[in-house]
Amino acid sequence: MIGVRQLSLMFAVPLLIAAGPYDIPLFSTPKAPRASGSARLVFAQSPFGISVTADGRAQYDVQVAVSGLPSPSSLGAFRAYVAWAATPDLQRWDRLGPIANGTTTVGHVTLNKFLLVITAEPDSAPRSHAGPTVLHGTSPSGWLQSFLNHPMFRGITG
Amino acid sequence: MNGRAALVAISLGVPLAIGSAQQKRDPMSGMDHMQGMKHDSAGMPIPMPRGMPMIPGLIGLVPSGGTFVPGGGIDPARLPLAKPSQLLRLADGDTIDLTAMLVRRRIKGHEFAMYGFNGEVPGPLIRVPQNATIIARFHNRIDLPSAVHWHGVRLDNRSDGAPGVTQEPVAPGGSYVYRVHFPDAGIYWYHPHVREDVEQAMGLFGNMIVDSPDADYYGPANSEHALMLDDLLINADTLVPFGADGPDFALMGRVGNVLLTNGEPSYALHVRRGEVARFYLTNAASSRTYNLSFGGAQMKVIASDQSRFEHEELVPSVVLAPAERYVVDVRFARAGRYAIVNAVQAINHYKGEFEPEVDTLGFVTVDAAPVRADYGRAFATMRVNSAVTKDVDRYRGYFDKPPDKELTLTVQTTGLALATVQFMTIDTAYYAPVEWIDGMPDMNWLSTSKEVRWILRDDATGKENMDIDWHVARGSVVKLRLFNDPKSFHPMQHPIHLHGQRMLVIARDGVPTRNQVWKDTALIPVGSTVDLLIDASNPGDWMLHCHIAEHLGAGMMTVLHVDR
Repeated sequence: MIGVRQLSLMFAVPLLIAAGPYDIPLFSTPKAPRASGSARLVFAQSPFGISVTADGRAQYDVQVAVSGLPSPSSLGAFRAYVAWAATPDLQRWDRLGPIANGTTTVGHVTLNKFLLVITAEPDSAPRSHAGPTVLHGTSPSGWLQSFLNHPMFRGITG
Repeated sequence: MNGRAALVAISLGVPLAIGSAQQKRDPMSGMDHMQGMKHDSAGMPIPMPRGMPMIPGLIGLVPSGGTFVPGGGIDPARLPLAKPSQLLRLADGDTIDLTAMLVRRRIKGHEFAMYGFNGEVPGPLIRVPQNATIIARFHNRIDLPSAVHWHGVRLDNRSDGAPGVTQEPVAPGGSYVYRVHFPDAGIYWYHPHVREDVEQAMGLFGNMIVDSPDADYYGPANSEHALMLDDLLINADTLVPFGADGPDFALMGRVGNVLLTNGEPSYALHVRRGEVARFYLTNAASSRTYNLSFGGAQMKVIASDQSRFEHEELVPSVVLAPAERYVVDVRFARAGRYAIVNAVQAINHYKGEFEPEVDTLGFVTVDAAPVRADYGRAFATMRVNSAVTKDVDRYRGYFDKPPDKELTLTVQTTGLALATVQFMTIDTAYYAPVEWIDGMPDMNWLSTSKEVRWILRDDATGKENMDIDWHVARGSVVKLRLFNDPKSFHPMQHPIHLHGQRMLVIARDGVPTRNQVWKDTALIPVGSTVDLLIDASNPGDWMLHCHIAEHLGAGMMTVLHVDR
């Protein structure tokens, strides 16, 4: 039997109007207030109707369309903007590839839920993220998650 | 009855006069939000997934159209035990008898009265040379009207086995003669096209392998195995009943909780070390899309529905939507036991979490003794099939033309239970492109073809399903664009099947396909736009429909007329 608490969690899910299961609005940070953009998830090439890993995770290429990014060097000792896919608990960051103003396809993402983060970096192929975030968004698959169930809060709420 | 009216009557549910004993009276009928629902204090016979409770507002309801179990009332002990599929090698001009009949099947320790062709589940494996023609005399000895559709075969329209379009359904006790010509090498299957949600689920399906005259068509392999994948929904020791007036589980289709390979819950194969085993895979399930792998053994995909790929590819797994086929070679390099698994990421809608779900279909045991003929080097070589490329080249000039036809895939509902409507309304944050499991079987079971109407909508005219009247000239190359609208009440993936022709998937979401293969069924994920190029070379009236049996039963079909 479903409990009151579970019901309240269900209704706590934000009623987002999704453009589809593939579109990610990107939001700017104070580091690049004029930057804007969006991303679209496109199934990686596969002989099948979709592309998935052996354990069933979707494999996407990410088409990133951005504008208004300033020169990376205007933010410090940076030469490139790099797209990352980070798990919601921020424990894992996968480098997707460099991007610039315009449309760039980077990939693959094989995470069930992820944050799409654009950072300024010293070069186009850094091993880990270090520079400031200029744009960020959440994969549509993350939208069904309530705050109370977020991995960041596990262990705190019991 | 004209053809169109007959088709709608059959697909939306032939009223079944047999065994609707479980239908209950509804003390709450007449309420707007659940006008069709019935109430049953005995509760639901639907097994719920672990950790996913029933919605309180649905407890006690039963589907609006009544329920039945085929073969109801018959003691399974009186029926012949189902036999495994037997190989039938046929030559041009041969005649076979194919009889749909009641059989006894043992599944998970229980015995059920079910169906089989010639007493076999799957039915006989028909193996013929390319360009052969056979005569198939079908005899219906089950308790429902039936027919046989020769899925994927570009045959004469009169033998397509599509009741309401090409023939009347064959009544119980009746017979029908099909003339089946096989113009293309490949892997095909046969199944009924009458109440597919029932007859196919009960075991009426079988494979056909059409052999090329080129002995090296697929390259060398040590062994060959046809695997028909299916699932069955059972609750304790009973089959979950079917809708009497039409399909239930209409929202996402009947997803079974017992996965079957060649009709059995556990598949077993013994091979030698280093063996290259060729698997002809067919998804015969009503609704389930598989993601199959062989315990980490290296696997390459060679062919799909109606041809080889332009080039072979190593793959981590094989994704098969209902009705799709793939030919894969698997090399078992080391001795040991390899689990054949279906591994997917399920969504727990209550927690908003993805949860891995792994079902083991069986095992391949690899002996320590090495295989006699080692095809390891040939396996490691990704062959390029220039004949396929040359064939496809004749159509590449059409790839970039504007679509000739455009369809939007969507759904309308009416009279669903209030709790279902409420839950689905708040569960709109994210729809997976493919639903791998049924996380809401209570809501799904209660939805029938009375409450749910799945739709193919012609964007040019606004006409839907059987009201669409598409005619194309024989020899046309038709570019069909399908958009699976994610903003409908309950978007679902749809494996779209076109009878009697062949087609290429030329682009997905604007990205051109790099490795072509001729198909008759293509998966359209939620939110995706898929471009198909149809080689409309075979004259006749051909069904175009979703191959999720319950979606077909809830209206999702039209007819493409290829004029002479």
